[in-house]
Amino acid sequence: MRVMVVDDHPMWRDGVARDLTEAGYEVVATAGEGRQALRIAAAVRPDVVVLDLQLPDLPGVEVARGLGVSENPPRVLVLSASAEHADVLEAVKAGASGYLVKSASREDFLNAVRRTAEGDAVFTPGLAGLVLGEYRRLAAQPPSAAADGPRLTDRETEVLRLVAKGLSYRQIAERLVLSHRTVQNHVQNTLSKLQLHNRVELVRYAIENGLAELD
Amino acid sequence: MAEMGGEMGIEGPFWRAIAVFRIASLAYAAVLLVRAGGYSHPVAAWAVIAVMAVWTAVTVVAYPVVHPAAPPARHGWPLLVADLAVTAGCLLATPLAQTRADALAGTIPVTATWVAGPVLAWGVSRGRRAGAVAAAVMSGADLWLRGVPGADVASIPVNGAVLLFMAGVVVGHVAQLARRAEERMQRAVELEAIGRERERLARGIHDSVLQVLALVQRRGAEIGGEAAELGRLAGEQEAALRALVQAPALRGEGSLDLRELLRPYGTARVTVSAPATPLVLPAETAREVRAAVGAALDNVSRHCPDGTRAWVLVEEDGQTVVVSVRDDGQGIPEGRLEQAEADGRMGVARSIRGRVADLGGTVTITSSETGTEIELTVPLARQGPGSLARQAPGPLERRASGRRKRV
Repeated sequence: MRVMVVDDHPMWRDGVARDLTEAGYEVVATAGEGRQALRIAAAVRPDVVVLDLQLPDLPGVEVARGLGVSENPPRVLVLSASAEHADVLEAVKAGASGYLVKSASREDFLNAVRRTAEGDAVFTPGLAGLVLGEYRRLAAQPPSAAADGPRLTDRETEVLRLVAKGLSYRQIAERLVLSHRTVQNHVQNTLSKLQLHNRVELVRYAIENGLAELD
Repeated sequence: MAEMGGEMGIEGPFWRAIAVFRIASLAYAAVLLVRAGGYSHPVAAWAVIAVMAVWTAVTVVAYPVVHPAAPPARHGWPLLVADLAVTAGCLLATPLAQTRADALAGTIPVTATWVAGPVLAWGVSRGRRAGAVAAAVMSGADLWLRGVPGADVASIPVNGAVLLFMAGVVVGHVAQLARRAEERMQRAVELEAIGRERERLARGIHDSVLQVLALVQRRGAEIGGEAAELGRLAGEQEAALRALVQAPALRGEGSLDLRELLRPYGTARVTVSAPATPLVLPAETAREVRAAVGAALDNVSRHCPDGTRAWVLVEEDGQTVVVSVRDDGQGIPEGRLEQAEADGRMGVARSIRGRVADLGGTVTITSSETGTEIELTVPLARQGPGSLARQAPGPLERRASGRRKRV
């Protein structure tokens, strides 16, 4: 498993890289700046990028977006001390598949990297709250705009709320009498729909403004 | 004159205009005097003009200087009263220069239009009411001088009085508007500067101190023992510092963003989850909700073992705000709440239910051996569903750049 670490704080970068190496991951590159990260990622093609949102030259959200549009995009795990909640949401909508606060323990962190690598969404209660809020915001838009916006099913809302209230997937599965895998799929779906909507909006915007040709 | 304008702010131009008006009126009065051949008593007439000239010089210098102790652009009454008195005195000295026959023939007093000076000054300095008072004094003097009893309402003196009133009131009003606009501008500029400074501090602190505190917290937890305790302390300081540097965004008068009130509750043990967009409530409602959440979290730390974690989730659906506080403690034993309430000593019941009921909301408490969840539902009635409208720029505006051919 090839991992890349992007963080502008050297102590953090090294600490995270060491943890990953000790856990058996191959840390193929580290970067402290956004543009540099995009260049290196294009060359070394990591499977997973552990990304801090606070970078000196380019907002982390832009890096997530840049990574998301590359060929064979890597999976992105946002690891951030960022209190910029809107940033975290933007990064996730731009394609990051998980978010973890920097104060998380090493076990939680390694667990999150493993799940990200496997293609699972990594949700903290905080991210679940942001995603719930985003769906509510989309639903509250004027009818014309909301009509084709993404919606959560009742079950997805239920699952997401329990994640936001700090229940583990196992606890949720028990409470709702579902399999662990089903809970995971529900969570994954909430994210996929949001990301898809985001891409559709982008394409529509680009076409309306003549920025892209359909070929 | 330039630095005078700066010192006086928006009023500088008013005082300059009044000074120009006084000087021009003085010249006009002198021209009238010359053309009338010095009226009946040229020496007295020229003496009055001389007094006017001296007073014009005094006011041109004195008005633009504001007394340091006075509120912005307010002049002491002595200057204003002296201005009015001297000007009225010059006006009332007219009989020394002109005979009754001159006045009856329609000749205007020696002071001519110069009498409007203090009326304008009162208006600009103290507002339109003061302008009207000064106009009344000056008009009274003028009418008395020319023998009111016989005066016809359409006569020149009455016309003059009306114009004086208009000048005092209109100029006073405009000056007040200008002053208020300037104050608002000033306040806005200050707030912006404060906000920017805070942002700069927040960035700096974020890039250095917070990162290190987070690192200490993480490593401490890994090493265990005393280091874990240090790590926990570092984590708490990190949360406290972050809450401190988060600049509260400016909301409309009397409203608060509930997220900003609840975020400070976040610690290593307590997670606060909320939407990315502001959740604006009337200030009073927001504070009551915060107090209720605070009581719920207090309850957790009082009744649950150390290490119990709690999660606060804030949601809004257009009609209601729902805040849930969940902990993974041992739960509340069956009947305990009712018992405590009956004993008259229950924090949860009184503090939470009471506050939320006052807001027209409801409280649901569910408890099991795996923890307790308290859900507060508060209507947004006074806010309306429109509250969702004023939010961060839509997804499109923010994302238009830098992705042209890729899509």
